Amino acid sequence: MFDGLIDGYTQSILIFTGINIIAAYSFFAPFKTGQVSIGQAGFMAVGAYASATLTQKYAIPFLIALPIGGLIAGVVGVVIGFPALRIKGIYLLLLTLGFSEIIQVVVLSWDYVGGAQGFRNIPFNPRTLDYVIVVIVAMIVFFGRLERSSLGRAMDSIHQDETAAEVMGIDVVRLKLLAFGVGALVAGLAGALYAHHATYIDSTTFNVMMSVEILTFVVVGGSSTYWGPAVGATVLTLLPELLRTLRDWLELLPVEWTSFSPMNRIYDFLYGFLDFENAKRLIAYGIVLIVMMIVRPDGLLTRDSIPHWRPVRRKVAHA
Amino acid sequence: MLGASYALVAIGYTLIFGVLNLLYFAQGEVFMLGAFVGLYLVVYAGAGIYGAILGAMIICGAFGVVAVFVAVRPVSKDRPLAPLISTIGLTIILQNLAVYIFGGQQLAFPETIEQKLYHFGPVTISSAQLFILAVAVTLMVLLWLFIERTKMGRAIRATAENHETAALLGVDVNRVVLITFIIGSSIAGVAGVLDGIKNSNISPFMGLGAAVKGLIVMLLGGLGNVPGAMVAGLMLGMIEILSAAYIGTTERDFFSFLILILILLWRPTGLFGTRIVEQR
Repeated sequence: MFDGLIDGYTQSILIFTGINIIAAYSFFAPFKTGQVSIGQAGFMAVGAYASATLTQKYAIPFLIALPIGGLIAGVVGVVIGFPALRIKGIYLLLLTLGFSEIIQVVVLSWDYVGGAQGFRNIPFNPRTLDYVIVVIVAMIVFFGRLERSSLGRAMDSIHQDETAAEVMGIDVVRLKLLAFGVGALVAGLAGALYAHHATYIDSTTFNVMMSVEILTFVVVGGSSTYWGPAVGATVLTLLPELLRTLRDWLELLPVEWTSFSPMNRIYDFLYGFLDFENAKRLIAYGIVLIVMMIVRPDGLLTRDSIPHWRPVRRKVAHA
Repeated sequence: MLGASYALVAIGYTLIFGVLNLLYFAQGEVFMLGAFVGLYLVVYAGAGIYGAILGAMIICGAFGVVAVFVAVRPVSKDRPLAPLISTIGLTIILQNLAVYIFGGQQLAFPETIEQKLYHFGPVTISSAQLFILAVAVTLMVLLWLFIERTKMGRAIRATAENHETAALLGVDVNRVVLITFIIGSSIAGVAGVLDGIKNSNISPFMGLGAAVKGLIVMLLGGLGNVPGAMVAGLMLGMIEILSAAYIGTTERDFFSFLILILILLWRPTGLFGTRIVEQR
């Protein structure tokens, strides 16, 4: 779609931002019914390995392997969702954590999918960005519709008070399972897209820290509204990249401004300080997380901060 | 005596979870910090192993204070996920600070204990293993006495049971939280040093594995249950050694997580009961 318009680096950043947005929605779906999962990377791994097996070993086109990978992850999600129905809070957190660790051990010791060497030579999909954009648009439309539908409201009510929701006649079991399965399916899509862009995955690709990052995307973006996951994932993925460019901005200063005594010292200090290699960038990321939670514990966006975009009704002139 | 350090990490988790109902994510990184403090004290300050343990306790305890003032107190407590995210931020900062300062590679932990092997019938135990076990058990007993017998310990138990009631009865809840963080962090620091002795190398990335194992042990022992965590830690260590010996090292982790899931499904209160009844 954007051939020749953007360079490879920008395209790669956009793809990873997009995959993170999709992953953030995969956390958002079960969270809508109050289920907090730190196993979404495990579902991504299921989708990634399933679709990569299909495309590489059975030569099935990616366009077909992608939804199949998502569906397999979704089925696994429903299977995990059944026991998850019985537990809540920290117990559910630990269950999903244990699930994703088990997935890691399984792919590590299963030689059919590469084992410890990792899954190599996954067919590269040159149009990942287009796919990612289509999936994101579908997500936003879906969750936007969901938020205003009776189904979405029922899910919100489960989040707020499960007992009350059940008393009101909401089928809590069905909705929680549905939300968990949809979340796993979306995670599977994200994993499949990732695998066919990176062309190499191994057991450490989808680790606990990835699940934790997905959780932070949603909480930082704002978990009460459907724009939150997209905003959080975009901000937190692009922020470290923007830190990289700060130094280029500094170099734009004219030389005459910084050639005399106090200024050149300051310039040199800033130049050294703004050298954001990996560790320093991640430290900045951690600081942002803490500051965000102190300043805006509900996330960047809340329901009040977005006006509901409805078609404006023309006032009918009453005769 | 693999399980001893898991048990110590888990005690820190379980204490903090009991008092704050918070999954303190940075516990594994505090463990890593302790190991590095111990290494630097032994290598550059010429301290003995006791000096290293004491130093790690003090530095990690101080970090616990920092953690409370930076990431726990300023964050509103009525949103369940906010303190979790802020301590995740702390985890990321601590890990990458370690990478920044110490470099990303593994460092060899100096040998501070004379290596000797003792034979008890068919069982062979090294002097380092005995030392680890002795230090861990001493700490656990001291901690148990502190929690069960002292006034502060009673305040901690009261706060774990109910914040509001404890505050009404005159317990300074903020102070209890602070003390809990200091104890939990300094114990994790000791666990780091012990792990350094056991594995003889440490790296800035050792925290995550310890954190996850600590969580399993906490659950196995029952949330908020300190003696339970002690026993469960030693048990998990045993299970890992046996499964590694008889089945294979890759499957070792599989077993620990399988236990985690089985416990969650059939006995969410852990093997030894829990002190926290809400939110199951």
